[in-house]
Amino acid sequence: MNKKLIIRLLGTILLIEALCMLPSLLLAAFHREPSWTALLASALICVAFGVPMRYLVKPQTSNLRAKEGFLIVTLSWILMSVFGALPFVLSGFIPNFVDALFESVSGFTTTGATVLTEGQFMDTINGVKGTMPYGIGFWRAFTHWIGGMGVLVLTLALLPKLTGRSAHLVRAESPGPSLSKIAPKMTDTAKILYLVYGALTLAEFVALKCCGLSFYDAALHAVSNAGTGGFSNHALSIAYYNRPAVEIVITVFMTLFSINLALYYAIVIGRWRDFTSSEELRWFLGMFAGSALIITGIIAGPVHGGNVGDALRHAFFNVATTMSTTGFTIDGYTTAYWPVAAHGIILMLMFTGACVGSTAGGMKTMRIALLAKQGRREIVRTYSPRRVQRVRFEGRGIDERMLHQVAVFGFVYVALVLLGSMLISFDNRFDIVSNFTASLTCVSNIGPCFGAGAAGFAEFGGFSKVVMSILMLAGRLELFPILAFFHPDVWRRV
Amino acid sequence: MRILVVGAGKVGATLAEHLTNEAHDVVVIDSDEAVLQRCEDTLDVLCVHGNGANAQTLMDAGVDHADILVAATAGDEVNMLCCLVGKRLGAKYAIARIRDPQYNESLTLLQHEMGIDLAVNPERATALEISRLLRFPFASNIESFAKGLVEMVEFRAQPHDAVTGCKLKDLNTRLPGLPRVLYAACERGGEVTIPTGEYTIEPGDRVFVAGDQMSITNFFRYLGRDTHAVKNVMILGGGRISYYLARIIAPLGMKVTLIEIDPDKAARLSEELPSVNVLEGDGTNQELLEQEGLQSMDAFITLSDRDEENLLTGLYASTQGVPKVVVKNNRVNYADVISRMGLESIISPRQITSANILRYVRARIGGHGTKVEKLYRLLEGKAEAMEFIAREGEPYIGIPLKDLTMRRNSIVAVIVRRGKVIVPFGNDTIEKGDSVVIITTESSIGDLNEVISK
Repeated sequence: MNKKLIIRLLGTILLIEALCMLPSLLLAAFHREPSWTALLASALICVAFGVPMRYLVKPQTSNLRAKEGFLIVTLSWILMSVFGALPFVLSGFIPNFVDALFESVSGFTTTGATVLTEGQFMDTINGVKGTMPYGIGFWRAFTHWIGGMGVLVLTLALLPKLTGRSAHLVRAESPGPSLSKIAPKMTDTAKILYLVYGALTLAEFVALKCCGLSFYDAALHAVSNAGTGGFSNHALSIAYYNRPAVEIVITVFMTLFSINLALYYAIVIGRWRDFTSSEELRWFLGMFAGSALIITGIIAGPVHGGNVGDALRHAFFNVATTMSTTGFTIDGYTTAYWPVAAHGIILMLMFTGACVGSTAGGMKTMRIALLAKQGRREIVRTYSPRRVQRVRFEGRGIDERMLHQVAVFGFVYVALVLLGSMLISFDNRFDIVSNFTASLTCVSNIGPCFGAGAAGFAEFGGFSKVVMSILMLAGRLELFPILAFFHPDVWRRV
Repeated sequence: MRILVVGAGKVGATLAEHLTNEAHDVVVIDSDEAVLQRCEDTLDVLCVHGNGANAQTLMDAGVDHADILVAATAGDEVNMLCCLVGKRLGAKYAIARIRDPQYNESLTLLQHEMGIDLAVNPERATALEISRLLRFPFASNIESFAKGLVEMVEFRAQPHDAVTGCKLKDLNTRLPGLPRVLYAACERGGEVTIPTGEYTIEPGDRVFVAGDQMSITNFFRYLGRDTHAVKNVMILGGGRISYYLARIIAPLGMKVTLIEIDPDKAARLSEELPSVNVLEGDGTNQELLEQEGLQSMDAFITLSDRDEENLLTGLYASTQGVPKVVVKNNRVNYADVISRMGLESIISPRQITSANILRYVRARIGGHGTKVEKLYRLLEGKAEAMEFIAREGEPYIGIPLKDLTMRRNSIVAVIVRRGKVIVPFGNDTIEKGDSVVIITTESSIGDLNEVISK
C-alpha cells in the first residue's frame, strides 16, 4: 500500500479546507466578531498539519490502486469533518466536541441535521439575541457547498497533476452506480462540474437577492441549497421569511440541484437531446410531480382549508426538500401538522433521493428505477419462466453485474437504516418512529425526521450522535467505502 | 489533441496509456464492457461502449472534432470500416491496424480508398525488428535513425570489456584506438541515466551507444564481440510474425528452421515458404530441439502465443549455448525480471506497435517550432530517443553546444548533416536542415526547443 501517497493527498485536502475557511473568516472579520480568531486558528491548524503532510512526504510512485483510492476518500472525509468541527469548538459556539463533529459531518455530507437549539440561531427570541455569529454561520452552510460536489473532485479541478488513476477517487465521491465522465480527462470533468455548480449557485444567489433577502442570507441559502444540505441561519428555516416568492425560488433550485449536473453541461454544448431523452430525469420528474400532486390532494382540505394554491406550494416545496435531500422547512410537514397519509409518501421519498451526478443523497432515482425493473422482471418470470428479459435503461441493456450491485446496494441500504435505528434506540430516549426516521434521514442525507426528533437532534445521546455521524458519512459515500473501512482485512498488514 | 482509440485490446490499451501520459484527450471505444471497465479503472480516458464502426457510437465519442482516430480492434475489416466512417464524420487523421498478409499486398489501394493515413501491421513491424537483431547479433537492441545512417545499439557490458571501470571522459586517452561513439544511455539496477563524462560503465550495465554504422561495427570489433553473421536460425511457433520474419531473413541467406505444433498450419507454412525448413512438432520438447540441431544454431527465436513457453524455451536454448536468443514477451512489466535471468533480446509486439503509432501521433502535433520526426522507446520506455529536423530561424542554430543550456537528463546524441554523421562535442553546432537525435529520460517532450535553450 502506498501510505506516503495517502498522507500526501490528505495533506492537500487539509490545505484546501483551510482555503475554504477563508470566506467565513473574511465575513467574521468584516462584522468584527470575536469568533474570527477561532476561524483563523482553525485554518492555521489545517495548514500546520497540511503543509508537512503535503510537502515533506515524498511518495515513490503516484500509482493509486483501488485500496488506496477508497482509503483516501474515506480518510479525507473523516479528516475534513474533524477539522471542520474546529471553528465550532474553538469559538465556543458548540463547546461539546461530539456535538460539533456531528454538526460538521452533517454539514459536509449535506444532511443538514442540526444539534442547535432555538436560541443558537440568529433570530431574536423574546428580546434575547441569538448566539450564531456571521462567520461561523456561513462556515456551517459552506460545508454543504464543499461536500455537495465533493472535495476530491474539487482537488482534481484545482490540482490536475495530483495522481494518475484518479477514477478510484472520484468514483467513491460522485453519487451513482457508474462513473459518468463528461470529458476524456478527469481533471477537465472536475472543472466542468464545478463550473456548472458554481454558475447555478450564483444564479440562485441572484434570484434570492431579487426576492429581497439580505446579501448574507441570500449567499448562505444559495450555498446551502446548492449542496442540497439544508442548514439555515434561522431556527424556522425558510418559514422565517414567510414569503411565497422565496419558497418558490428555493423549490425550483432544490429541484435543479436534484438533476444530474452533466445534463446541464449537455445543454451548454448544444446536446439538447441528452437532456430531453434522459430516462432517469423522466423517472425523477414523474415521481416528483406524482407525489406532489397526491400530497396536494391530501393536504388541501385539512391543512390549508381548501386553498389549493397554498397546498400546491407547500406540497411541491416539501417533496422537493425531501427528494433533493435538502431539508429546508416551511412548515411542520414531518409533525402532526400534516396528515399521516402524506407522511407515508414522504417516508418513501426519503429512500429514493434524486438523480445520480447531482448533489442530492438517497438511493438515487437510477437505482430505484433499476430495482423496479428487476422486480417487474421477477414477476414476469413467475408466470413466464423462459422469457428472456434484458433490463434496459437510458436506451441500452444493463449489465447483469451492475444489476446485481444495485440489488445488493438496495439491501445494504435498508439493512444499514435498520441497524442504525437499533443502535440509536439503545440510548433509550425517543420512540421507534423517531429513531427509525432519524437513522433514515442520516443515511439519505436529508435532515428532518419524524416524531419527537423533528424538533432537532440536540436531545439525542452522545452515542447516537456518533452512530448518526457514521451513518451520514456512509450515506454520502454510497455505503461501501465506509463499510470497508470497518473491515478488519483492510487494516491487516498495512 | 483529441484522439479516439477504437478497441481496448493489448495495443489499444498500451497506446491509450502512453497518449494520456502525454496529456492528450483520449476516448476509448470498445464493445466489451469488462474491458472498458478495466480501462476506466486504470486510465484517465473517456470510455464509450459500442461498435467502433457504427456512426452513432463514433459520434457519441466525438469523432467530429477528433484529431486522430486509431482503429486497433481484432478485425482488419472492422478497422478499415472504422477509418472510412470516422474520416467521413470528420476525423482529421485515421490509423488502422491491418495485419492480414492478404490485405498487405493491396495496401496502397486500400489506404487510399478507405482514407487510412497510416496502416500498422504489428506482426510485420515485429518481424522487421527481429530481423535487425539478427543482422547485428552482438546487440540486444538496435534502432536506426536518419534514414538508417545512424545506429543506436544496446549491449550489456561484460567484465572483460575495455570500456568498463574507467570514466567516460578518460576513455579516449586510455584507449587511443577506440572508435568514437556516443554513450547515450545506461541502465544499472533498473535506474536509467544519461551518462556524463564522469560516468563509469560497470560490468552488467545495459549501455546504448550511438554512431554511424562503421563506427558501431568497429566499436564492437574493438571490444572483441562476436560480429560474425547469423547463418542458422530456429523459430519456435508458426504465427504471422514467424511468417513475415522468414520472408524477410530467408533472402538474406539465413537458413531458417521453423517449428509449428499444428499440422495444418505447418503444412500451409511449408507451402508458402518453400525455402524454409518447416517442422511439425512441439517446440517446447527438448528432444526435438536437440535432434534438430539446436546447439548448432546461431539464433533461436521464440514466437509462440504463450509468454511462459517462449521464456522457458528461450532460457533452455540460452543454456545450450545458442549465442543469440530472441524472446517474444507481451507482458512488459516482467521485462526487468527476464533480462535479469540473462535473456537480453525481448520483443513485445504491442510495444512496437504502439511506439509506431505514437511516432506518427507526435509528428502530427500542430503548431510551430521543431517537432519530433520520430520517437523510439528505449529500455522498456524508461528513456526515449527522438529525431528532430532543425529548421531555419530557431534560436539554437549556429551556437556551439557548450554555450547552450540542455534540459536535465537529456543529451544531443548525434547530428546528421548532409548525410554525414557527427558525434557532437562542445564546439559542434546545429545548423539548419540538420537531423538531430536527442536521448532523454524525461517524458512528453514534443519540441527541440524544450530540450535546448540559449
